[in-house]
Amino acid sequence: MPGGLVPLEQWQLPETSVHRTVRSALRDILAQLRAGVTPEDTTFRSLDALPALSARTLAEVAPAPDPATTADAVGRQLARLTRGGGRPRRVPVLVAPPFSGVREALACLDRRLLTPPDEVSMTPAAAACWWDRQALTDGDWVLPELADFWLRHPSGLALVREFLSRVALDQAGDGLVGCSSWCWTFWTHYLPELHLAPVTPAPLTGERLTRWLAFLAGGASGRTVTARMSHDGLYVLPAPDDGQERKYSGFARDLAALSRGNPGVALALWRQRLRSHPEDEAAARPLRDESGGGRLYWVAPLEPMKLPAVPTAAGPGAGHILHALLLHDGLPLDRLAQVTGLAEPEARVALSLLLRAELVAPAGAGEDYRVQPLGYPAVRKYLHARGYPVDGF
Amino acid sequence: MDTRPVREALASITSQAILEALAVIVIAALLILLVQKLFPALAGKLSGKPRLYLLASVPLLRLLIILLTLLMVVPILVEPSFENMVAIFGALGLALGFALKDYANSLIAGIVTLYEMPYRLGDWIEVDGRYGEVRAIGARAAEIVTLDDTVVVIPHGVLWNALLANGNDGTDNLMCVADLYLEPDHDVAFLRARFRDAIFTCPLTRTYQPVQVVVSGCEWGLHYRLKAYPLEPRAQRRFISELTARAAAICEEAGVGMVAGPGLGYRPIHQGS
Repeated sequence: MPGGLVPLEQWQLPETSVHRTVRSALRDILAQLRAGVTPEDTTFRSLDALPALSARTLAEVAPAPDPATTADAVGRQLARLTRGGGRPRRVPVLVAPPFSGVREALACLDRRLLTPPDEVSMTPAAAACWWDRQALTDGDWVLPELADFWLRHPSGLALVREFLSRVALDQAGDGLVGCSSWCWTFWTHYLPELHLAPVTPAPLTGERLTRWLAFLAGGASGRTVTARMSHDGLYVLPAPDDGQERKYSGFARDLAALSRGNPGVALALWRQRLRSHPEDEAAARPLRDESGGGRLYWVAPLEPMKLPAVPTAAGPGAGHILHALLLHDGLPLDRLAQVTGLAEPEARVALSLLLRAELVAPAGAGEDYRVQPLGYPAVRKYLHARGYPVDGF
Repeated sequence: MDTRPVREALASITSQAILEALAVIVIAALLILLVQKLFPALAGKLSGKPRLYLLASVPLLRLLIILLTLLMVVPILVEPSFENMVAIFGALGLALGFALKDYANSLIAGIVTLYEMPYRLGDWIEVDGRYGEVRAIGARAAEIVTLDDTVVVIPHGVLWNALLANGNDGTDNLMCVADLYLEPDHDVAFLRARFRDAIFTCPLTRTYQPVQVVVSGCEWGLHYRLKAYPLEPRAQRRFISELTARAAAICEEAGVGMVAGPGLGYRPIHQGS
């Protein structure tokens, strides 16, 4: 967990260059103006001809973070905050953007796991009874994702409302709550006087991202992996602290900005940009000896790449579905229809559009649909532009 | 009135100068037409602030083109000496003052509108009981399109005296109100809380804007006003319908009867179970 945990209000968007910000804004406007004029391609395209890494190599050099390791880091960080007097609540709330891996990490903790009931729609009295049955004051517990305990429906609020009121009054024993940033945003609007002093993983700046990617690539053995830009040979990995003088690329900073400091999105993009060969072997050769003998990979620039985009044919139904999926950290079709107010066939049509655009995909073996990390930047931008309440990350 | 200076100023106008001036005016008119057609069309493809900025730039660009045209045309036609300018603009002012008083009134009001900006393109305004979205701001009049898709032309001159209500004032935050009249015998606190839940769970609600449920007594029972902001101003009708439907479902579930509005008199339309 690079950067550790910080109070939610201290979270800041990673810095990026003015040049990149202006280019990005102009590109967005042009994309909107071109809609309907040029043929639409909403799926991911790499736009370079370099060979990508095999799935096996990717799993070695850019693996998903180990939830148990993240859970250890969370435990250490919370202990540090407690020692520093920065965690006044008995039940800390850990708010994190989607794909940050916090849900999976919290589920690995050695605490009693609280899972949602099969049906989260219930009356306030039934919700109070349900929480009484959970015996919150009896031992340590962890609730990995609060978004699983509610539905954005008039009858689906009682469970979380009751829970938050108990946590606010320190009547919920000793626990730990994980909450998606989108879900948290809704509930802070709904209960504006709620003050639980949540903490959040620090955003991945370019420097932190470099160290994190190097850590993931190193694996358990801590081997050194070198990654250089495929077009100019500048370094991305290893992290610049081993005393060697190398020329580093701005790739990590741009990647951190593009992913808004979100580790899941950054990792998904990183995996898409890794290559086995550079563009020009001759240009890269003079620098090769400086790699220090570790494994060498190449990184395609971010620019010739097309991320999934929300299709122009997407109507209000698609926006409601995307927003609902982020609010609830994934939902099955029947519940999507329930929270968006769409009829199920209508929801199915809108969902199919988003599936084809690779913005949404079925999650694992379950029936839930989730927004995909590569599509997340476009989805967030789309929802923000259309006035939807978005998270602060 | 001594018209000799005007006649002298105009005497130097040649047919070639008139043709040149006409060409400049035609180009300016085409440019204005292009701006008035192209910019709103482009804005229609955008969302959020870029859309509002693009729409707001249309009347300003038009004014700029008109001023530039005047600056180019006058020296083509007459020698731009102080005497000539006084004579020409004096005569022009006199003509406008007598023959085209109302037209000039609206033109001047249009210029004041650009400065004071009581409404911009994309605003939802109400003037003399007409409510709609401002779709065009011309030199003389503005056009609004009502919720029933009717175009209403409002001369800028009307603004000197009329009351103007602007719902969103250059932003995309437009408060909507769903009115409900309910029979009085019920738990008001319970119903207000349920209505608030209904607003927050409506997918069209901007939950980061204030949400209010206001209740007051009236001769028909209790008047509830559900106040909130839709995702975008254009969704206002759908939003109000959605809020009303959700509130009606809650009333039915709670066994609270709705009564008709004041225009229809006291006529229960639902008796709760």
